[in-house]
Amino acid sequence: MNCGNCGSPDPCVPTIHVVDDDEAIRHSLAFLLKSLGVPVECHPSAEAFLAARKPGKPGCVVLDVRMPGMSGLELQALLNRAGETLGIVFLSGHGDIPMAVQAMSDGAVHFLEKPCNDEVLLEQVERALNRSRDICGRAAAAQAVQRRVDTLTQREKDVMALVVQGKPNKVIAFELDISIKTVEVHRAHVMEKMQADSVADLTRMLMATA
Amino acid sequence: MLLGRLLILVALCLLPVLARAEPSELRIGILAFRGAERAEAEWEPTLRHLGANLPEYALRAVPLDLDGLAGAVRDETVDFVITNPGHYVELEAAEGIIRIASLAASAETVTARNVASAVVVRASRTDLRRLADLRGTRLAAVAPEAFGGFRVAWREMAEIGIDPFDDTSGVDFLGFPIERVVEAVASGAADAGIVRACLLEQMAAEGKLRAEDFRVLDGRIPPGGGCLTSTRSYPDWPFAKLAHTPDALAKRVAVALLTMPVRDGHAWTVPVDYQPVHELFRALKIGPYEYLRHRSLGQMARDYWPFLAFAALAALWWLIHVARVEVLVRRRTEELKAAHEEARRRRDEMEHGARLALLGEMASSLAHEINQPLAAIANYANGCQRRLTAHTDPEGVAEGIGQIATQAERAAGIVRRMRAFVRKRVPEPHILDLNDPVREALGLFQAIAARRGVTVSAFLADGLGMVRADRVQMEQVVLNLLQNAADAMAGRDDRRITVSTWGDAERVRLSVADSGPGLSAEALAHLFEPFFTTKPEGLGLGLSLSRGFVEAHGGRLWAESGPDGACFHFTLPRLREDAS
Repeated sequence: MNCGNCGSPDPCVPTIHVVDDDEAIRHSLAFLLKSLGVPVECHPSAEAFLAARKPGKPGCVVLDVRMPGMSGLELQALLNRAGETLGIVFLSGHGDIPMAVQAMSDGAVHFLEKPCNDEVLLEQVERALNRSRDICGRAAAAQAVQRRVDTLTQREKDVMALVVQGKPNKVIAFELDISIKTVEVHRAHVMEKMQADSVADLTRMLMATA
Repeated sequence: MLLGRLLILVALCLLPVLARAEPSELRIGILAFRGAERAEAEWEPTLRHLGANLPEYALRAVPLDLDGLAGAVRDETVDFVITNPGHYVELEAAEGIIRIASLAASAETVTARNVASAVVVRASRTDLRRLADLRGTRLAAVAPEAFGGFRVAWREMAEIGIDPFDDTSGVDFLGFPIERVVEAVASGAADAGIVRACLLEQMAAEGKLRAEDFRVLDGRIPPGGGCLTSTRSYPDWPFAKLAHTPDALAKRVAVALLTMPVRDGHAWTVPVDYQPVHELFRALKIGPYEYLRHRSLGQMARDYWPFLAFAALAALWWLIHVARVEVLVRRRTEELKAAHEEARRRRDEMEHGARLALLGEMASSLAHEINQPLAAIANYANGCQRRLTAHTDPEGVAEGIGQIATQAERAAGIVRRMRAFVRKRVPEPHILDLNDPVREALGLFQAIAARRGVTVSAFLADGLGMVRADRVQMEQVVLNLLQNAADAMAGRDDRRITVSTWGDAERVRLSVADSGPGLSAEALAHLFEPFFTTKPEGLGLGLSLSRGFVEAHGGRLWAESGPDGACFHFTLPRLREDAS
């Protein structure tokens, strides 16, 4: 079934991925999850999901634990190693406590037993989506700051580093062995290029990229 | 005229009186076994002597054969008889004739014991020396009823246990003249000849043969002297009076006979005791003793009652035995039937148990299998509810409801399949495509395969040909093989099962190959034995039952093992097109 692969120019618009070897489960989950108003993509196996995924895209994976080929837990481990930020909600047909413990300790959002309460499922999927969206947003913001930082000259970067340390212009001039006038010009360029309204604003920006 | 008539009348009335008063004719019955003329000639001297001594009588010889003579005695148409000792004894017993003189062979031997037999063989037959040697030989004799000849010898043979009719190659009765018997022996037509004693000597004296060419078996000279005999001697022919013959007349005849001079070798002496003849007849159960052969049932019963009682007891015992055996057979048959029925019931129970056990092993997988459509139904239902609440996407709601129905049907199908598999049933072979039960088994196994991460590949050949088999049993066999394969691969990375079917003109074959560790030599050796198992929860019945099912359908089930895993095969005979 076409789960509506609605790509979006906004890098932080999330997608829900349903990975299950049972076609009926896959289809019915998509049917239910579409009520969240989020694009849903279906994959019949962990391998198919890996082939289709776009690294870095936010979203949530609703993942069956047991599947032929790569299992849900193996996929989780693989995604973790790749540094993916996708939230994972596990679905299991068989309440398998050790498996659940393993999944949760490896960062899964939740471990649900089939057939699951739709409230809980949707709630957990939303939670996972929000988390992924937040991470994505933060990452996007950091990337924007970094892009601004990249526009600075080396001297401007040096001045900025000292500005965010709260040092006055004359101390900066002394430390960099340049004139106060020169410091003032660089500082004005930094504030302009970084689109910072204040030193505090600039400091907050730089902390997000750290 | 009247006088004449009267005279005739008187004459007629007197006739019987005159006849009775006329004893002038004295009729003497003579046994003429060699013809009337010879008989008359032989006895002519005696008759002549009697005639001379009894002048007032007209003596008349009446030559008759054995039956004729007996009839004449019975009808009293003779007054005296001259016959052989055997016949005399018979007539004595039957008609009460009384001997008044006995024939003596010669004046010298006035003893009347000179009837005996000689059993003659050629002198060259050194193998024949005693009467006992006659067993199995061919005999010749004059006639079966001849006394001084066959019967006398018969008695001797009977005493040493030889029945001349049964224990020899046969007896040829050649009739008269008696010389024929000797000729038969001389020519070799017979091994031995039975003749009256003295014949041999007589013929030798007449120059008809050479005495040294012949031998008399058990030959001996009787105490009174005479010829060589093989038998004891018996009294010679008697001269007997009938019961009606007056004693006075008998006395005169007797006196005349005793005073008769020896003429032509004939002489008469005092009547001797014919007891030896009686003994012979009794011993041979002939003549007056013939009744010994045909005894009545009552006599037999009296004579042999212990034997009869024993026989009756034996028969009774046998009847009881037969009845008892019949009852026992019937009872045992019932028991056997019951045992068969019980065994069949047990076997059905066991098969059912094994199917339950198999399903038990699959239980969690099957639960999962049923859970899937239920989970899907729940998802669809919840999705529909949300859409209805939000008043959006009516097409989605319709689709969801349709999917709910589909998934409910799927769940029901699984339950149906399970119930068909575990239902208690009597196996019933049908003509079927082996692929059908294989697909059913694969369907049931799907859940296990998914859960265990086992990849199942099926290569089911088209146009496999039909087989005669029980569907559920075949399903059980395939499922067993699949379950075993899955168990064998537990804990291995590579988990693949390949199921294939194919067929040739003769048979249809199925193989289940796994990528497990293969089978140990011990497992290979005991695989198909009941209760052999390598699984902690296994019953150990699966493979032994499976083999039983396959073999019951005329097929074969076997295992192979290699480094790439184990492979189980079974074949079933393919039905010919016209049979299906």
